[in-house]
Amino acid sequence: MARGYLVLEDGTKYEGELFGSESGTVGEVVFATGMSGYQETLVDPACRGQIVVMTYPLIGNYGVAEEYFDEREVHARGIVVREYCKDPSPMYDGRTIDEFLKVKGTPGISGIDTREIVLRIRSTGTMRGAIVGEDADLEKVVADLRGMEFPCETNLVSEVTCGSVEEIRSGKDVTVGIIDCGAKGWLVRTLSERFDVVRFPYDTPADVIRGYGVDGIVVSDGPGNPANPEIGSTVVATVSTLAKGGMPVFGIGFGGLATVLAMGGSVRKLRFGHNGASQPVKYDGRVHITTQNHCFTVEEGSLDGTGLVADQVNVNDGTIEGTHHGSLPILTVQYHPEAAPGPWDGSQIYDRFARMIEEGRF
Amino acid sequence: MRKDYKKLMVIGSGPIVIGQAAEFDFSGTQACRSLREEGYSTVLVNSNPATIQTDSDTADSVYIEPLLAENVAKIIEKEGVDGVLSGMGGQTALNICSELADSGELDRLGAALVGTQPDAIAMSEDRELFKETMERIGEPVPISRSVNSIEEAKQAVEIIGRYPVLIRPAYTLGGTGGGIAYDEAELEEICARGLAYSRIHQVLIEESVLGWKEYEYEVMRDSNDNCILICNMENLDAMGIHTGESIVCAPCLTLSDADHIRLKTAALKVIRALGIEGGCNVQFAFNPENGDYRLIEVNPRVSRSSALASKATGYPIARVSTKIAVGYTLDEIPNRITGTTFASFEPTIDYVVIKIPRWPFDKFRTVDRHLGTQMKSTGEVMAIGRTFEEALLKGMRSLEIGVRGLDRSDIADDEIMTELQNATDRRIFVMAEALRRGWSVKEVAEAAQWDTFFVQKLRNIVDMEQRIASGLTAEVLREAKTMGFCDEAIAEIAGGTPAEIRATRKAEGIVPVYKMVDTCAGEFAAETPYFYSTYGRSTEVVPVEDRKKVLIVGGGPIRIGQGIEFDYCCVHGVMALQEEGVDAIIVNNNPETVSTDYDISDRLYFEPLLLEDVLNVIEAEDADGVIVQYGGQTSVNLAVDLEKALEGTKTRVLGTSPDKMDVAEDRRRFSKLMDDLGIQQPRSGTGYSFEEARDIAEDIGYPVLVRPSYVLGGRAMEIVYSTDELRTYVETAVKVSRNHPILIDKYLTEAVELDIDAVCDGTDVYVGGIMEHVEYAGCHSGDATMVLPPFTLGKEIIDQVVDITTRVALALDIHGLMNLQLAVKDGQIYMIEANPRASRTVPFISKATGVQLAKVGTKIMLGRTLKEFGLKGYRPIDHYAIKASVFPFLKLPGVDSILTPEMKSTGEVMGIDEDFDKACYKALIAAGNKLPTEGGVYITVNDADKPRILGPARALKEMGFTIYATKGTSTYLRENGIETTTVFKIDENQKPNAIGLMRDGKINLIINTPSLKSGAIRDGYTMRRLAVELEIPFMTTVQGAEIAVASIRVARSGEVGVRSTREFHGLV
Repeated sequence: MARGYLVLEDGTKYEGELFGSESGTVGEVVFATGMSGYQETLVDPACRGQIVVMTYPLIGNYGVAEEYFDEREVHARGIVVREYCKDPSPMYDGRTIDEFLKVKGTPGISGIDTREIVLRIRSTGTMRGAIVGEDADLEKVVADLRGMEFPCETNLVSEVTCGSVEEIRSGKDVTVGIIDCGAKGWLVRTLSERFDVVRFPYDTPADVIRGYGVDGIVVSDGPGNPANPEIGSTVVATVSTLAKGGMPVFGIGFGGLATVLAMGGSVRKLRFGHNGASQPVKYDGRVHITTQNHCFTVEEGSLDGTGLVADQVNVNDGTIEGTHHGSLPILTVQYHPEAAPGPWDGSQIYDRFARMIEEGRF
Repeated sequence: MRKDYKKLMVIGSGPIVIGQAAEFDFSGTQACRSLREEGYSTVLVNSNPATIQTDSDTADSVYIEPLLAENVAKIIEKEGVDGVLSGMGGQTALNICSELADSGELDRLGAALVGTQPDAIAMSEDRELFKETMERIGEPVPISRSVNSIEEAKQAVEIIGRYPVLIRPAYTLGGTGGGIAYDEAELEEICARGLAYSRIHQVLIEESVLGWKEYEYEVMRDSNDNCILICNMENLDAMGIHTGESIVCAPCLTLSDADHIRLKTAALKVIRALGIEGGCNVQFAFNPENGDYRLIEVNPRVSRSSALASKATGYPIARVSTKIAVGYTLDEIPNRITGTTFASFEPTIDYVVIKIPRWPFDKFRTVDRHLGTQMKSTGEVMAIGRTFEEALLKGMRSLEIGVRGLDRSDIADDEIMTELQNATDRRIFVMAEALRRGWSVKEVAEAAQWDTFFVQKLRNIVDMEQRIASGLTAEVLREAKTMGFCDEAIAEIAGGTPAEIRATRKAEGIVPVYKMVDTCAGEFAAETPYFYSTYGRSTEVVPVEDRKKVLIVGGGPIRIGQGIEFDYCCVHGVMALQEEGVDAIIVNNNPETVSTDYDISDRLYFEPLLLEDVLNVIEAEDADGVIVQYGGQTSVNLAVDLEKALEGTKTRVLGTSPDKMDVAEDRRRFSKLMDDLGIQQPRSGTGYSFEEARDIAEDIGYPVLVRPSYVLGGRAMEIVYSTDELRTYVETAVKVSRNHPILIDKYLTEAVELDIDAVCDGTDVYVGGIMEHVEYAGCHSGDATMVLPPFTLGKEIIDQVVDITTRVALALDIHGLMNLQLAVKDGQIYMIEANPRASRTVPFISKATGVQLAKVGTKIMLGRTLKEFGLKGYRPIDHYAIKASVFPFLKLPGVDSILTPEMKSTGEVMGIDEDFDKACYKALIAAGNKLPTEGGVYITVNDADKPRILGPARALKEMGFTIYATKGTSTYLRENGIETTTVFKIDENQKPNAIGLMRDGKINLIINTPSLKSGAIRDGYTMRRLAVELEIPFMTTVQGAEIAVASIRVARSGEVGVRSTREFHGLV
């Protein structure tokens, strides 16, 4: 068992046992609070650039399903756990998470007091960090981390978007385009159950999208800061053109924030993100428990004059979780209605989007 | 939004019984606090005086009255209650509410059911309605078909698709004639039998889910249809073992996220379909082969599982359910743990919780120890760790069964498989043992039907034992501690003493840290003062510096002999400390109780109660004092060792000094003290061999009370009447030796026994109460019916009792509470024993008199004096309080219902009234006795009791009862002018006899006092057992018969009122 360290930019070092790939990694250290769903978290494009600290101490209990080995890309740069399971439950015939991460080339570190890291991040905000072998020069690692750009400030979307336009047509009445900023498989699947779907690379211009005859646009979730200039000149500009032209737009997570930016609002970074499966969102007088994975949020007050109205809020911290436009068919949410990992509680938002398209306006 | 009610009632669950324990004191207390916070006027009714909820200050009016619909109605009417909460008092409260709703009584009284409505209750309680509802929403329940022939049964199996199937005959008592069929031949055989047994010639063929995994979901819904999941839990034991009997972990550890979402979605669908408002428990069977699931059960109320989920997550389910019941929605209810968020979230935990049941087999050696669908455990422990192994080992050593982890089992190799396949309470030890003896993880898992995931964890523990054995380096020590091994277990394997291990690891810096239970995995800053220990990098406990801190050691799991009374005392200790401006810290491991509600103490530590664990908390807190008088024997046993370990630190054991406690506990030292004080004790001796014991017994004179000096696993105390019986006892029950002598006491026949609780400050003594046992000495004081104040003793005896109590308390230099047991025979008073701690009668006395002894005791431990409270001497009261016990005989086949020196009861009730007879009536009814007002009585008494039985017999005759008696008793009664019907003795094997008459429903009350020979006691066993099953009240003493007759008279008059405790205490 190789020993190694998780090093944080504030100089804190945690010694532990390396598992998965022993290649070492750097990234933005965030925490995820789901008690199950580690496989889904690892392959979530929104985790691009991140070293994910799992708050649940036992990870890998039910193994990793074969389909993840075959078909899924790991987006997280590393994983930090209290304990990873070497002998998972045989119920799902899965292989170990250690094998999975080795195959995918992703480092993990185990035996860490993960709760301490969470409390640290909670008070200082997210930090840059590294997983390194025991021979590393730790002071140099710290110095390098301090000089490193936060991964979320780079254009991570370009790394996770699809390579070319994909059409998933099954003869439905309505066609919906996805601007793929890192769309999860679930989103595509859920949408294609209701609509014909065309998936566009994030930098596809508005007129190209229009050319496919779409009736509405979903701007997907994705990693990083939507205020990145390269996102501004692509996704934000495209959405701005389409939305102002009356195209129904539904922005999810990162895509929701890009839509807000497109309408003239602004976003800010949360001190530590919303990462987990139990974020309560109030909408229409009811509370929905949602899954979230984002570090940015709508700047309160920036909606004035954009035509957007906040209609969903986080019950815990009051941040804006959803908006709609007063006169245009625009809808945004901060959570994952498609929800894997996590509960299926916010899915009626799709109904709202479908109605919006049908009625031509909200 | 809050709804308007003038006055709301909370119904408790009554006495502690198997399946309904302290969790409902916790939920009812939370409910009352939650309602009062909102400014509602509240009324509480419960018959159990040992609860916190029956404290006068829990609700505006508290009624300690039998939990019968008619009583509840009287209280509703008297108090002007306009809303009743049905979901806080278990099945008892739910049944009463259904009854009152169905009969239209609630409408008549203008009271509404608050929270879940009757039709919702019916939908989850009625099997058919439940099945229909689930089918309507498309959720699967076990497939079943009612059939009237074997042919139809075979067709039913085809629909079900596979064997085994369950066969349940319709309309037979207790499932007679049913069974499990594994193939067609068995199906034919069992069906033939079942159809024959069934009154309507019908059996139900049901799909079996035995061996499937069992998962539970605790969900919550409000009136606005907001639904959330609080917690899910995984039973380690497969379907077939009741969840209350299973080892359970939270959250589910082997369920994939996708399957978790499926089950969660189903649970939320169910709670919506049933329209439940509040907390609800949904149980699933899950087929590990293919992922199919079935809904097994829904509890539309708070439950044992919800108490566990509350403690496991920090989410106060009962509190929030109460707010929902009065109209609030989840997003309006603040989350008190974080102080900044709301109740409308799903708790996230970052630790492993394990619950382990506590079984009473140490007390009931004749009971079948196999685990199944009938609950046998009396209580449970919960442990929290950052790994499964840590939580499990903490849980094991919390059980108070003398184990320190996965202790070795001496099972024979060829018995292992049987034990693994047919679980008893010992199975987990045998699983570990099998691994030690070379079984593979897979073999053990398959035999026990556990997931290998969990068996592998046992393997890790067993492997660590090996590593410790092969050399305890600092690294191994650190790993062993991190895995949850206690110092004692390590010392046992590696050699040395626990104290040495402790010193070594402290020198190496291997000390526990404490992490917070905060409902959110650290995501938000929380203010919960709720912690657990683990071995990690940093602690979240920073000792408070500017306040005095006192730690109270709790009582651990509920078990026979150590019930909820001690939790009551601990909670009162907390309250008293807080009233004195001292920070109160609780260490305990029982998830059912009020003391482990994080809202009660200033800081709560969920920990085992070994010296090591308690010392660790004391050190982490830098506590000023520790109280060991309130946690029953669990904490008293720590006194001497704690004092020794704390030498040279600032922490003091508060109250009576451990050395003086030892005087009371140590037989020799105590006898010497009694001799010095001139107080008589029954003659006694210690025998180191059978011959010695025999000589002592002959010298003292039979009957004698015998018990082993070294009590292991609760080995029995018995009364023996002859040398032969003594020989049998020595040969079968105990092994007498130089190291393990037996103690022999003169048994005082026909002596009246007294229990006294007193408070002493070293200068003055306050006698809180003197309770007279209805049964003669020899019946365990925990089982005896007790009357406060004494009802047969004169002033002269009482004065002497007060004098003795005062002298003993002062001689032991008691600071705090003391309990005495005395016997009175022929005007002489004998000392039986002194207990330098809070006893199980403390809450009873406090409720009866209004003086809260445990609070006074605590304040005295802090240095206050009795004078300051104006308490001294003895104060009689002008009403009667009767304590009656409740027994688990029905649930534990094989236990004799006769009362002996070994305690058997699980709980108690109080009957309180100005009139003695009415108080008796209330106590007996509250304890579940179905007292007849007409019908037949069977009387058979020993010669000594004959004169005294005339009174009760005559009274029963005058009330119109038919009296059946066996020849001797019958002749005697007739000679004295009481008409009887003579029946045969059971062993004469002729009709009519008692058994036949009982089965025919002709006997509604039994008075049977066996002769004082144990052979005779055995003879009545069949009859007593049948009485238990038919729920026929059974009196085994003449005194009990007198009380029963007085109660029947009251029942016939129908003139019984209800009165609140404040009225009794003269406060209204």
